[in-house]
Amino acid sequence: MINQENMPWCEKHRASCFADVKGQELAIDKVKLFLRSFPKKKSVILYGGPGTGKTSLAYAIAFEMDAEILELNASDLRDKQKIAEIIGPASQQRSLFRKNKIILVDEVDGISGSDRGGLGELLVVIEKTAFPVIITANDIWQQKFGLLRQKAEMVQLKDVDYKVVLTLMDDICRKENIVVSRDILTSIAIKARGDIRAALNDLQILSKMDSPQLIREIGERNKEQSIFAALQYVFKNSKIDDKMTKIYDEVNMPIDEIFLWVEENIPTEYKGEELFKAFEALSKADVFRGRIMRQRHWRFLVYENFFLSGGIAGVKKYNRAGWTSYKKPTRILKIWLQNQRAKKKKTICEKFAKHTHISTKQAMKDWLMIRILLKGDDIRKRLKISDEEIEYLEKPLAV
Amino acid sequence: MADGEFNSEVWTERYRPKKFEDMVGQEEVLKRVKALTNSNNIPHLLFAGPAGTGKSTLALIVVHQLFGESWRENYLELNASDERGIDVVRQKVKDFARTKAIGNVPFKVIFLDEADALTREAQQALRRTMENYTSTCRFILSCNYSSKILDPIQSRCVVFRFQLLEKKDIKRRIDLIARNEGLTITPEAFDVLHESSEGDCRRVINLLQATSSISPNITPDLINTIVARAKPSDIKIVLDYALAGDFNGARGKLLDIMLKESISGQDVIKAIQKEIWTLPIDNSLKVRLTEKTGEIEFRLVEGSDEFIQLESLLASFVLAGEGKSTTLGGV
Repeated sequence: MINQENMPWCEKHRASCFADVKGQELAIDKVKLFLRSFPKKKSVILYGGPGTGKTSLAYAIAFEMDAEILELNASDLRDKQKIAEIIGPASQQRSLFRKNKIILVDEVDGISGSDRGGLGELLVVIEKTAFPVIITANDIWQQKFGLLRQKAEMVQLKDVDYKVVLTLMDDICRKENIVVSRDILTSIAIKARGDIRAALNDLQILSKMDSPQLIREIGERNKEQSIFAALQYVFKNSKIDDKMTKIYDEVNMPIDEIFLWVEENIPTEYKGEELFKAFEALSKADVFRGRIMRQRHWRFLVYENFFLSGGIAGVKKYNRAGWTSYKKPTRILKIWLQNQRAKKKKTICEKFAKHTHISTKQAMKDWLMIRILLKGDDIRKRLKISDEEIEYLEKPLAV
Repeated sequence: MADGEFNSEVWTERYRPKKFEDMVGQEEVLKRVKALTNSNNIPHLLFAGPAGTGKSTLALIVVHQLFGESWRENYLELNASDERGIDVVRQKVKDFARTKAIGNVPFKVIFLDEADALTREAQQALRRTMENYTSTCRFILSCNYSSKILDPIQSRCVVFRFQLLEKKDIKRRIDLIARNEGLTITPEAFDVLHESSEGDCRRVINLLQATSSISPNITPDLINTIVARAKPSDIKIVLDYALAGDFNGARGKLLDIMLKESISGQDVIKAIQKEIWTLPIDNSLKVRLTEKTGEIEFRLVEGSDEFIQLESLLASFVLAGEGKSTTLGGV
């Protein structure tokens, strides 16, 4: 269940009306023009880099028109029959509860040009529809979208200026009641390179940490671009060739970090048997990594690299189409956050361990028992448990 | 002790034996260590045996006997599993051993607990350290398995093997505590205490103290309440997710458990291996999965990232959940 607490801020604070969509004045004007002249053109394509506000703008259109949104994602669109079922009749019927309706096709880049004709179906829908069709896309200039571009009004969303991102973050800091230094906000805004979602994600992660110097960890966006491309190549292609085995050479990050990216995203691309085999390859890559570490035998790097690229790619029989949005690895961050949360636990365990001649590791394992033993002022005083630590002990679910 | 009153000391410390005579079990070991200690010149000692059988206690008694009041100045306790690398151990030993012993005994004592947590390389370094300071220091090493201690170290030590304490011996300590703390413990309750602690005296006493915080009348039910409260999350839940085909759920839960309960990949593998036979799957699959688990345990030692290895194991449980045993055999 999603509660407000752990909802991503880019969702929680999503713009609801035109005035809320920051830094896209020109685009909004064009959209207004499109709506006024509808149905001269029946579709509008909102295109631009990630996090520039395409989806937000689409929602704002619905709000301004008092319209119901019928949303279709890329996988729905791949299915010709589904399109016919959903958009076909829906676009010709009036909504029961609201006067208006808009059809939202988010991330149209997800449709493949050739297989099962999702794109062709979409064109038919635009032809027949009684309602505006809003399409969002990262990259609309691929050849397969030629016809679509002719049929639709093209509206570009530019990368958001960092000053706009900055004001937006200021606003959210106020709403979330957090204080972050000016320097850090500015550096997040600049690093985001016009991507509001990235900026808000970074801000949200940062807000959960004690030490804002962690901003360095968050890293730069363009680094991610290169890993995305490499993952795309490994996960979509099945042929193991020279390019495959050298694919990570172009990625500007340490190999340990690449491991984490691959690990995080295997389940998004592979299921069942492929999942099993891919992890088998990753496991072997890790074994060679361990051997290199222990024996300093760098020749093994060849095998580590091979299993991490070709080994993962080769588990599928055929090339794969489509576009996947890869996730940033979260494990290291989770470990870090847990360690932050459990700092008090650690110091309490250190005191208990010293007092009872056991290892801190053992004490950490016995934590649930130790919590019970450390009740009452006398025993706490004897072990010199501090006030903050007592507070931690008293928390109902201090794990 | 009445309901709601709290203790002022951890009982494992309050009731830790202070003299050779107070210890229960390990008669042979005691006799010989006592003789060595009385001669005021001990060699290096290696105590090997299961947890909660008296290794640390005996080391402390030796030190108390040797140094009397000034034991703190002449004694250094280190835990190998907590020290970050052998360099830290060496530095601490160096600092401690630099000054001469105070009093009649011409050496200081260093107790290195859980010495089997040291890697082979670290043990090699430890061996040289032991040699360098042999004129001013004696080492008492403790470990669970002496086989994990390098031969050259073992040959420099007198090795003592500790046995799991007999139930009647543990009972003697528990009865003493019950008398002093005003507890009543039924025979059935003692059985439960003993069983849920797997014969580890330290755990028996901890469990008793925790239970007594509810009531001085110790019953099996009361003990079970505490056991349940202090029970770590079940690894089975992770396997359930995996068998149901939810890989992401399984790995999320696994990370959660490992982080919150501070358990290592080795602990997880052990738990999984025990759990396989209780799973609702074909016998042939159980065999395959056990084989795979063994392979992953091996890779855990060889590899560098425990979690990746465990994920790979979870992926095979996902397959097993679909009833596919043939693929599991080889890749």
